[in-house]
Amino acid sequence: MTCREFKKITEALTLWELLRSQEGRLLGHAGACSTCGAWLQQQRMLAANMQTLQARTAASGASPKVEQAVLQAFRQRSSQARPWIVEDDRIAPVAWRLSRFFEVGAYAAIAAAIVVVLFLGVRLWQQRLAGVPVQSQNTNVSRPTSPSDRVQIASSGSEGAQAPATTASDGSKSGTLMSQTSASNNNGRRLWRKDSDDSEQLESTELAQASADAAYTPLMFCDPLSCSSDSQVVRMELPSPAGPDSQPQVADVVVGYDGVVRAVRMVN
Amino acid sequence: MLTELSDEQLLTQSLAGDEDAFTALYHRRQGMVYRFALHMCGSTQIAEEVTQDVFLFLLQKGAGFDADRGALAAYLFGVARNYIRRALQRSYSEALLHTSMEDEMPSLLVDNDPAHGIAQRQTSDAVWKAILSLPAHYREVVVLCDVQELTYADAAEAMGCAIGTIRSRLHRAHDMLARKLQHSAAAAPKISNVTARCIS
Repeated sequence: MTCREFKKITEALTLWELLRSQEGRLLGHAGACSTCGAWLQQQRMLAANMQTLQARTAASGASPKVEQAVLQAFRQRSSQARPWIVEDDRIAPVAWRLSRFFEVGAYAAIAAAIVVVLFLGVRLWQQRLAGVPVQSQNTNVSRPTSPSDRVQIASSGSEGAQAPATTASDGSKSGTLMSQTSASNNNGRRLWRKDSDDSEQLESTELAQASADAAYTPLMFCDPLSCSSDSQVVRMELPSPAGPDSQPQVADVVVGYDGVVRAVRMVN
Repeated sequence: MLTELSDEQLLTQSLAGDEDAFTALYHRRQGMVYRFALHMCGSTQIAEEVTQDVFLFLLQKGAGFDADRGALAAYLFGVARNYIRRALQRSYSEALLHTSMEDEMPSLLVDNDPAHGIAQRQTSDAVWKAILSLPAHYREVVVLCDVQELTYADAAEAMGCAIGTIRSRLHRAHDMLARKLQHSAAAAPKISNVTARCIS
């Protein structure tokens, strides 16, 4: 055993273990090495001295007055603990009540928010189902259009629609345009008037007027030629005034962003 | 029987309001706390104050003791250590070691030989004086491990440091004590009205 190993082993032992140690390797090295032997002897003497101090103070303890003071504090704590517990009971219900209030309030707020959202959603859905309000020109629906009724040619949608000169006699910007899907069907799509509060009354009046007008010819929707953000050009096939056997007339109709027809161009 | 219960069980019952359990715990552990404080400070007054403070602390903050972290004894030593430091820093930086202390401590009479008893007393006084003259962090490990016979693990728990630190400090403290005792043995003073300064 080397001195380093001896030191490493003895450091792991307590003073009392060193005192009682009879390990042959340790004792052998201590006997062979004067330095380690002297050190071991020194530690054993220290341990023996410690033993005398231990024995001298082994029976020492705090005086009875310390015990009395500590027990008094214990009893005081026990007696104070009871009203403290009562206060806890008093405090707890209030806190509980407050927490319940906030809890119910939170639920109520969430429910109210859900109701509001549902209400707004239903309203929005109803508005979307009712359709987009479109301004329409006031045209002379009693007179069918003819090739001679030329209007200002509208360019394609990319160039923007020019304000057409309408064939309407009054030129008012309000009015309705009745477009029917079929000649036999008088219940066509109706266009709303934006600036009228009596839109429903006006629609019913004009429906009655249109249905009463037998010369009103429904337009056949054809392919859109072009469209842009401002207007859309729609090619339509119009019935020929010469009769059903003749070739139908084709017209390009410019429809503005608001659904109002801007211009029409007879193609053939 | 309360004597069969562990320290932790007695503490639990004490905190629940069982005075008998608290009394049993106090009787079981007050001696070691008192002796630890006495060996650290060399003053019975400080030792009693520290003992009282430790058990009052246990009453107030005992619920925070975690048995998984260590034994209650190590916990009490740790608390006592803090109170001792406070006491030493406050106003008790000098401990008087004089003959009155011999009256407070039981005289050690190993046999009927008075000379042997006196020699024993002088030896123990010299050891105690040497311990009190150590720096605080060396003194703590010596008192805990050598005088109180705590294990390295319990001493590390009480001091809040690693076991390796305990070992190295103890090794160093033993060397210092051995040199001091050699010098004191060579001088062989008679202990009377000697003022020992606790070097903190």
